[in-house]
Amino acid sequence: MNTLLLIAARNLARNRKRTLLLGGAIAVVTVLLVLLTSLFNGTQASMLRNATTLSTGHVNVAGFYKITSGTAAPVVTEYAKLRALVEKETPGLQSLVIRGRGFGKLVSDASSQIAVVSGIDIAQEANFKNILEIVHGDVDRLSEPHSILIFEATAERLELKIGDNVTLSSQTYRGSNNSIDCKVVAIAKPLGMFSSFFSYVPLQTLRELYGLDATTAGGIQLYLKDWEQAEQVAAKLRIALDKSGYRVMDHMDLPYWRKFDIVKREDWTGQKIDVTTWMDEDPFMKWTLFGFRALIVIIFMVLLAIIIIGVMNTLWMAIRERTREVGALRAIGMQRQTVMAMFVTEGALLALASSTIGVILGVAAAFALNAAHLKMIKGFQMVLMSETVTLLVNVPTVIISLLVIASVTTLGSILPAWRAARLQPVEAMHSSN
Amino acid sequence: MHMATTPAIQPIVHLSNVDKDYKLGAVTVSALKQVSLEIAPGEFTVIAGPSGSGKTTLLNLIGCVDVATRGEVIVAGQDTGKLTEGDLTRLRLNALGFIFQSFNLVGVLDAFQNVEFPLLLQKKMNAAQRKERVMDLLNRVGIAEYAHHRPGELSGGQRQRVAIARALVTFPRIVLADEPTANLDSVTGNQILDLMQELNREGTTFLFSTHDPHVVSRAGRVVRLVDGRIVTEPEQQSQTSHS
Repeated sequence: MNTLLLIAARNLARNRKRTLLLGGAIAVVTVLLVLLTSLFNGTQASMLRNATTLSTGHVNVAGFYKITSGTAAPVVTEYAKLRALVEKETPGLQSLVIRGRGFGKLVSDASSQIAVVSGIDIAQEANFKNILEIVHGDVDRLSEPHSILIFEATAERLELKIGDNVTLSSQTYRGSNNSIDCKVVAIAKPLGMFSSFFSYVPLQTLRELYGLDATTAGGIQLYLKDWEQAEQVAAKLRIALDKSGYRVMDHMDLPYWRKFDIVKREDWTGQKIDVTTWMDEDPFMKWTLFGFRALIVIIFMVLLAIIIIGVMNTLWMAIRERTREVGALRAIGMQRQTVMAMFVTEGALLALASSTIGVILGVAAAFALNAAHLKMIKGFQMVLMSETVTLLVNVPTVIISLLVIASVTTLGSILPAWRAARLQPVEAMHSSN
Repeated sequence: MHMATTPAIQPIVHLSNVDKDYKLGAVTVSALKQVSLEIAPGEFTVIAGPSGSGKTTLLNLIGCVDVATRGEVIVAGQDTGKLTEGDLTRLRLNALGFIFQSFNLVGVLDAFQNVEFPLLLQKKMNAAQRKERVMDLLNRVGIAEYAHHRPGELSGGQRQRVAIARALVTFPRIVLADEPTANLDSVTGNQILDLMQELNREGTTFLFSTHDPHVVSRAGRVVRLVDGRIVTEPEQQSQTSHS
């Protein structure tokens, strides 16, 4: 084996130009893959952190309350009891927050717009304060009754500034209309597509709007140590809640504000619990990440195909040049599988060395790009919920990238190697090459 | 049918009524016709004949790198027509040594590594035993001082000496050489023949092809081929050179 490795290494060194060309191509593909996967990881982390702070937990335990079969209120009654159960039954729970859920109209002197309104307890929302970039006002003033935080787009559309009053109007869950005036205490920079119609008021203010008492909430947003476990945890919670006597809604991958009409048409009354994940509550983010991932996979497959063709061509050339050598080695007693191993070793060595160099360069490039704090273009900022390009180098992803490129390019050497092994010694020895 | 003289001892090579045909499109070309031959241990035999007479084909059949169309080829006691590809490869590795006209050394390995290579394929000796065997042979063929030179750094004669050492390293029953001096100048060619004769005197059986009359004149036994048939094999030459 050492001799095969030696032959492979020396043959690669002997054909320096060809080796550098193909090895360079493999390294470039690896660099691109590391950068693309790091960009994906960075974007995913940033989107997930922002979205799961603003509008959803990794897992949400919420639901609807129907006074009559034709109504639908996104309310959970006696949430403290539900919270205790959820805390006990959620594996890997890191933290949770209580949110109110509302849907209504914001009316100013200048204009009006539809708004998804969240009720929050700002004292319990450290992440919320970290995520938002407040351009005017003070987010901590959301602790004041009848205060409201809006985003810049809403402020511009409704011509609002700090200290202005805006009327929040909605139909209560009993079917009557209600409205309250809220004072604008903070205006935040846009954060994603939804920020143009999202706003935040104190939880108690939202309860007042809907005429609810302090035992109610919109839902419980759960944050897990490992967000990737969200679906499994949600499934487990549905079973646990069902066993504890709660009526649990069938899973629908829709955000709560798109379930109103569906729930209104359903023939039941009282409380039902709805357990959702961030993917249900923010399908835009789910599909953005899915599209991004698919794009990376497609780009990667194309690049990999080019590399495989390159490796195959290179080995074809090597085999053509060394046909007589193969014939002689077969004549002196080298078995077919050893001939194959000899050429596969050459392909594998080139692939492993080049992709290792590619990984090192890729990781270095990722750190350099992060250090440069590159601004993302406006359109992408809204979609990807970040102002700057963030690359997150994830060690397991990098190792997987390295192994995938090295293995697949090695696989590309198997066919030429197999063909070399099939050469008849007598024909190979008398080859003109 | 021309049958070579059968030695009393068990032959290393036994060919009986061997034909070898090649298909060239719709045409079948007979490269060997009804060839029968025996090679006994210790012989220094030349297969002589003009180009296209079938010398290389005959060596290929004996060297187990090709199979006969008809007839029986027995090498080192094994009927090659009944062996699998893997068995033939093992037979070549363990019973035969090869010397090629254009040396066919592995260009990226040095002389020592080239000679050691068949031993690595055999996996019978440890590193120390291999080193001792390889250096003995490099000394014997007179190029020990070039042990760590690659073929590209050696002259034609030196390369052929490495090839001879490689052919001998596994203690083969017979060494087959296809025109071993054809790519060498006459002085170097003679030196190589001297070396092969010395090795033959020490017990190594050689069978080689040539069309060079000077080389033929140094053979212990000559098998002449014309148009794929053995045409003559003088009685006085059908004996081993060292016996």
